Amino acid sequence: MISVNRKLRLAVQLISLLGFLWLFLQTEYRGTDELAYPVSLLFRLDPLALLAAFFAPGESNLFLLWPALLLLGLTVVLGRFFCSWFCPLGALLDLLGGPFRRQQLNFIGWPKLKYYLLVVLTLAALCGLQLFGLFDPLSIFLRSLTLVINPVWNLLANGLFDWLYQAELPLVSPVADRVYPFFRDFLLAFRQPVFLLGLFTAAVLLVLVLLERLQPRFWCRNLCPLGALLGVCSRHSLLQRVPQTDCADCRFCSSRCRMGASGTQAVHSAECIRCLDCLEFCPHQRIEFNFGTRSTDKFDLSRRSLLTASVGGVLLAPLAAAAPLSTKSRNDLIRPPGAVIEEEFLRRCIRCGECMKVCIGGALHPDLLRGGAFSLWSPVLVARLGYCEYDCTLCGQVCPTGAIRLLQVKEKRKTKIGLAVIDKNRCLPFAQGEECLVCEEHCPTGKKAIVFERRKVLVGSDPQELLQPRVLTELCIGCGICETRCPVAGQSAILIVSEGETRTPQRLL
Amino acid sequence: MLGRRQFIRQCLHTACAAGVAGSVPQLLLPPVASAAQDAVLAVRVGEDIPQLVRQTVAALGGMKNFVKPDETVVVKPNIGWDRPVEMAANTHPLVVQTVVLLCLEAGAKKVQVFDRTCNDPRRCYVSSGIQQAVKAIDSTKAEIVHMDRRAYRDLDVPGGKALSRWSFYLPALEADRLINLPIAKHHSISTLTLGMKNLMGVIGGNRGMLHRKIAESMADINAVIHSDLTLIDATRILVANGPQGGRLEDVEVRNTLIASPQIVTADAYAATLFGYQPQQIETILAGHHRGLGEIDLAKVKRL
Repeated sequence: MISVNRKLRLAVQLISLLGFLWLFLQTEYRGTDELAYPVSLLFRLDPLALLAAFFAPGESNLFLLWPALLLLGLTVVLGRFFCSWFCPLGALLDLLGGPFRRQQLNFIGWPKLKYYLLVVLTLAALCGLQLFGLFDPLSIFLRSLTLVINPVWNLLANGLFDWLYQAELPLVSPVADRVYPFFRDFLLAFRQPVFLLGLFTAAVLLVLVLLERLQPRFWCRNLCPLGALLGVCSRHSLLQRVPQTDCADCRFCSSRCRMGASGTQAVHSAECIRCLDCLEFCPHQRIEFNFGTRSTDKFDLSRRSLLTASVGGVLLAPLAAAAPLSTKSRNDLIRPPGAVIEEEFLRRCIRCGECMKVCIGGALHPDLLRGGAFSLWSPVLVARLGYCEYDCTLCGQVCPTGAIRLLQVKEKRKTKIGLAVIDKNRCLPFAQGEECLVCEEHCPTGKKAIVFERRKVLVGSDPQELLQPRVLTELCIGCGICETRCPVAGQSAILIVSEGETRTPQRLL
Repeated sequence: MLGRRQFIRQCLHTACAAGVAGSVPQLLLPPVASAAQDAVLAVRVGEDIPQLVRQTVAALGGMKNFVKPDETVVVKPNIGWDRPVEMAANTHPLVVQTVVLLCLEAGAKKVQVFDRTCNDPRRCYVSSGIQQAVKAIDSTKAEIVHMDRRAYRDLDVPGGKALSRWSFYLPALEADRLINLPIAKHHSISTLTLGMKNLMGVIGGNRGMLHRKIAESMADINAVIHSDLTLIDATRILVANGPQGGRLEDVEVRNTLIASPQIVTADAYAATLFGYQPQQIETILAGHHRGLGEIDLAKVKRL
């Protein structure tokens, strides 16, 4: 018999997952310059995002993140309920991992790993290196959705609809063409999303799902730093289970609890995610959750390991900083408009991928190495793949941590994110003696930042008059539409470089 | 007297000929029909745009001359850029709205409005005001739609000088009527962008490549896409920093509308608004040589 509570939790878990998916679908231009919904709600709820913003230099808009404080407060009262009721990655693991789950294996001491990881990440963030984003389950969820699941879903659905449209099967094709507009308008992306790092991101998600084979919720139990943070808050929470360990005559909880919370290894109050399943599966009906009981467990983290983790965290920051600044040696690190200066940007960005999802021009992609070894998954503008739309301010609207500031359209139009430079070895009017003016045609600044100069040139021995483009440094804002639209095959003959960006004015040509 | 053998042979010949003729897709037939028409042109000036559109079309004998009852119509404005109305980068929404209304009044079964934009299509449709204007008509027969990526086909360009094959947007070719609604603008490579260049909005492929031989490419494209009526919006024209503009300084208000069944004739007159002779614009010249219309304005009948 399924108890009411379990049904209720499953319903809430499903509805919140669907809700986050719905917000994900709304993370898109829908006819108004301002997004109609708080689409990055998931990250405004995220205590790790709060920590990242808190430790970052510069002014923090903690107003954006008040829901995270609320979540921490609720956790102190109700325990680590978020993990089983609301966490979308947890829901995804329950959903996708189900078929892989076998007998639980015992990994003695592993649940402590997540606390050590949290200590490492927190101290590293305190010392200047913010890596929460790499391990934040909410970031992992949305990143996987943006970079992997959504593009694949669109390819599959569109492929099927296209095939039915072209094959003109009797009965089936007319029905498909009928329902296609609904899919197109509500469930599919306006344009097929494609992203760099898709495979790598998919591999990370796949590993997390496959780990379910070793233990249910392997990630949540042993590794999740958000789980650790909520666990710490949950330690003295008011809502506790009675009893907190297996009963002497029955070890059923140990084998059934998805978190292994009642084993002798675990601190029950911190590991239990209040999923309430044990209310139902206890054969003796002995279990109750109530607000009166105080937990007596103590965290059994070894001091030596804690110290090692702390030292590790503190050392990570200088270790990262000991590498040469990538901005010194390369010029292809183009950040979204409104991005704060690079040092602060990396400390704020939690790699959630919201900006990449919302980018109307498909310009933002996850970084691998452009911004250094620790810039992984942070957004960079890859102008050959997409450009920054002149009047669009969506990325600043969705950024939950203020890594990308919200700009007004007027300010946005004047924000330089880079500079276009012409590669005269490949640009047609220079290299081939043929006229081509696509870059000038598309340049969006009212007074164009790309102009033509009529020049007499020798094409072979033949003197000709040609229009040749030139970039006006003071007008170019580096939006990249010229690089996107350059008709030369492969690499563009006009490139956006990071010179002269507004956020670091000293980096001028 | 027709013998039995002769009869059978003739039947076979006819069948073969019919088979061959039938297997040539209709789309490949060069639409030279337009060249046979009289060179006519209507130009009107006025500040009330819906009124102006109606007067101009009436001068050509009314929309019933171009759209017959129960026909499908594609209206192709320029919605290329993410710019508001006053910047004169896109066709005026009221011009589009009135033309769609005229088509409906002429009994059109369905009127579709679309353009392959340069900026993000969603933003262009909204910023131009055209999406709102078409939706305001509130008729199930009139709709503004985004391009369906599935409906592009590679077609041969018969007699093409710059292009032998290119990707075209089938709904524009398959509609019974195509009405071309460009806005007159400055363009740095083709000097001006008018009716012929506006039809670049119903082709696929890497359009940037066409700029290498823009004049002949435009003539090639227009040899495949036949438009029944060209109505050039010169209510305000963009005289510099085209084709997308963005500064009011570059916009001139002219309150003018130019209409002709022949695309090149309409373009030829529009060129004079910018102080050019039609022969000075390579695209117009190439179109004329391709038989797309008269450009000697002295030979054109003004209505």
